[in-house]
Amino acid sequence: MPVTQPLRRRRGILGALALIAIAVGLYWGLIVAPPDAYQGEVQRIMYLHLPSILAAYLSYFLVFIGSCMYLWKRERRDDILAHSAAEIGVLFTALTIIEGSIWGRPTWGVWWAWDARLTLTAILLLIYTGYLMLRSLIDDENRASSAAAVLGIIGFLDIPLIHMSVYWWRTLHQPPSILQPNKAPWENIAWPLLIPLLINIVAFLLLLFYLLSLRYRLGEMRDEIRMHRLEHSL
Amino acid sequence: MEGWSFVALAYGIVWTVIVVYLFSLKSRYKKAQMELSALRSAQAISQNDKT
Repeated sequence: MPVTQPLRRRRGILGALALIAIAVGLYWGLIVAPPDAYQGEVQRIMYLHLPSILAAYLSYFLVFIGSCMYLWKRERRDDILAHSAAEIGVLFTALTIIEGSIWGRPTWGVWWAWDARLTLTAILLLIYTGYLMLRSLIDDENRASSAAAVLGIIGFLDIPLIHMSVYWWRTLHQPPSILQPNKAPWENIAWPLLIPLLINIVAFLLLLFYLLSLRYRLGEMRDEIRMHRLEHSL
Repeated sequence: MEGWSFVALAYGIVWTVIVVYLFSLKSRYKKAQMELSALRSAQAISQNDKT
């Protein structure tokens, strides 16, 4: 189906909003926000780190929903949603690990530690990289979609483990900054640091939805191309 | 100053990776769009030939 003009316009508006939010987030995070009293300037990496992992979590939640729906209804659009969200989730997870590593060097004195949260996040990246590889390794599209959907659902179970790891095990990683039970974000972080963090979270979520809309449409077009080829070969 | 070098490294890598991904996505998108329109026009021609 051809993409309609209003849809393209909506995507354009989303892209413009993401760009504005990113610019404001960069300005606030790098120039307006004061340095942290203990960590100094390095704390500014948090304005990338937390938004990236939240975007990744949301992407994997969409993979989970799309995968469940695909196994239930067998509709192509659910599979396309899961596949698109997985690709973007892998991007944001890889970025989260890179940012965390760069922050860890001056703060912990190491680029990497086999800490429970870090290791579980690396496992999350491996699971969804495996998800993407699995799809490309199986020729039969329906079998690939079904196998990937099962992995997409199982992989999502790693996210609660990542979130709870700082409570369940003695970890080097600090407890959640904004998603703490029984504690509002402003009780944990001072407002001058919380404002740029919230702006960057909004910016990354807008970016996620913009990338997702592009990637989803690409998936739809690839599906249509496959159907054309299939009809032609019959 | 050392803190800023880590900040610059993190921001540089993140935004470079995102821009590269966006360009690769746009290029895949355009390629698929061109392929699809070629297939559609080929299908339209073959349907016209049949009628």
